[in-house]
Amino acid sequence: MAVLWLIIGLGVGAIVATVVANQRHGRERTAANGTVDIATRAANDDLQVHLARMQSALDALPVGVIVADADARIVARNRASDDGAGDSHNEVLVQAAVQHHLRAAVRGEDRSQTVELYGPPRRVVIVHARPLGGRGAVATIEDVTERSRLDSVRTDFVANISHELKTPIGALAVLAETLIDETDPAVVSRLADKTVNEAHRVAKIIDDLLELSRIELSGDLVVVPCDVPALVAEASSRNSYAAVQRRVDVRAGDIPKGLTVNADHGQVASALGNLVDNAVKYSETGGRVTVTAFPDGNGVTFVVADSGIGIPTHDLDRIFERFYRVDRARSRGTGGTGLGLSIVRHVAGNHGGAVTVESREGEGSTFRLHIPDRPVPAS
Amino acid sequence: MMNELRKSFHHDLDDVRTELVHLAAFVTEAIPRATNILLTGDLEGADYIISGDDEIDARALDLEERCVQILALQAPVAGDLRQILAALKMIAEVERSADLVCNICKAARRIYGHELDPSLRGIISRMGEQAQQLYISAIEAFVESDAAKAAAIDDMDNYLDALQKQFVQAIFESHSAGNIDLQVAVQLAVVARFYERIGDHAVNIGERVRFVVTGWMPEHKGAARYRTRNADDTGEITRQALTGDTAAVSPTGFPNEPNTPGAGG
Repeated sequence: MAVLWLIIGLGVGAIVATVVANQRHGRERTAANGTVDIATRAANDDLQVHLARMQSALDALPVGVIVADADARIVARNRASDDGAGDSHNEVLVQAAVQHHLRAAVRGEDRSQTVELYGPPRRVVIVHARPLGGRGAVATIEDVTERSRLDSVRTDFVANISHELKTPIGALAVLAETLIDETDPAVVSRLADKTVNEAHRVAKIIDDLLELSRIELSGDLVVVPCDVPALVAEASSRNSYAAVQRRVDVRAGDIPKGLTVNADHGQVASALGNLVDNAVKYSETGGRVTVTAFPDGNGVTFVVADSGIGIPTHDLDRIFERFYRVDRARSRGTGGTGLGLSIVRHVAGNHGGAVTVESREGEGSTFRLHIPDRPVPAS
Repeated sequence: MMNELRKSFHHDLDDVRTELVHLAAFVTEAIPRATNILLTGDLEGADYIISGDDEIDARALDLEERCVQILALQAPVAGDLRQILAALKMIAEVERSADLVCNICKAARRIYGHELDPSLRGIISRMGEQAQQLYISAIEAFVESDAAKAAAIDDMDNYLDALQKQFVQAIFESHSAGNIDLQVAVQLAVVARFYERIGDHAVNIGERVRFVVTGWMPEHKGAARYRTRNADDTGEITRQALTGDTAAVSPTGFPNEPNTPGAGG
């Protein structure tokens, strides 16, 4: 960042110096009654080249730079300072903030503000305006959307993982302590039941964590031709117990017979299983889940659609994070570990594919998992 | 000298346009915020939006003052006059929309703590998105002086109206299933009305944009109908009473130059 400021400082200094120098040359020319001596012209050309070079340097910067004169009128800006095309309301608000702070900066104030825009698209930018010693001011616009997203992912992750791990372990401790002093066989058996349930829950979380790290760490995919209808059938049947319990109708759609995709069978099966598992869990009793797949040019897209409660728009871009919960209060009811969708995302990433979701609360969700064909290693 | 004056006039006009766009962008930004506040019960956010309305009011008043000054000092005509008149009307639309956004936040406070059915939540988020979309189109039409885009806003509003009807139906269903009590049901119905009204204000802005560009608004059709009807009944007197001297050219360029983009500018 310090280097950046140095470049900006140099650039702005050069522009201001050039403008001043140009004015001086202009006066010389008038004094010489229209005749331009060779030395002046050469100096002028040098300045033109220098100015153009500095403008190109400013344009190459990833941050927006806007220079204003002493009356806070904008005299120069680089390319990154107005890529919003000016028509979107986000851009209007950013530019308004810049103008506001430039007016303060020409009076000698050093101003900085983080502008959070709700969007869509959601954006976070830092607008910083500094005075240029009475000759105007410079403002920078830095887009920190990705950085602030990662920050919240990190802080939420710590909070969520401790919640998910500590809850069942705390429950185990309390149950065990109660068991020590309990003599009534009926109560003992009920408490033992609960202990077993909590232990299973911890075991499931650890299983999922291990699977996730295996998928994350596995460098090489074991690519084999996978039979797509069989994959779909396997994923739907693996979840049939939960589906029957919740009376959710899981059906496979029409898939062209003999459709195959070259991919890591274990990983794709795990991803698909997780998607169906999720769809069943978030369906209301008596709901329906359809699993289908179709070839799409360079591979296969699996589609898992449910008629469940749906996902709030606000949470849509975060559900693939580890342990992220839309509704933490409900997480124990569904019995999931909060890792299923991050496993899916990793499998998609490992294959160079993608997973996307469309959802609306009360209307259900549709997940699309695109798995491109991978080259099968010659054996 | 005259040129200098015109330059300053157009500079003032540009300033008014920029500030108006900024105000409208403020509202556009606040709509999805309010929706999220409503859906997540974010009381802090609600307070933030409600207290922010004072700023919008102050800026709307300032802007109005500037328009009045331009009118009084520069006496613009034709296209320029239409711009200022339209801006004056649009300021009111934007300011009122900001109030409606606040009302949504106030409703969020009243229904705080009540669980809503997913179907209700889904339609609320749809209404919020559609209302914002209308506003984005209205601003774009204004910035680009695009009469066709402005005319399309009306069609987009039909979808928002349909969503409102669908939402009211969903409220009935949720209430009869015993999921929400009567108080919440009434609050929600009012919220739907707020979104629908925000959409209507965007439509009005679109109509003003059409007026600036072409000198014509959809209301002119109805007004003409009314005049013909009244001419049959009572003759010319009403018509003259309504419009002053109909023989003279209207200073805004209407009705002598209908449907000509940039007429008289």
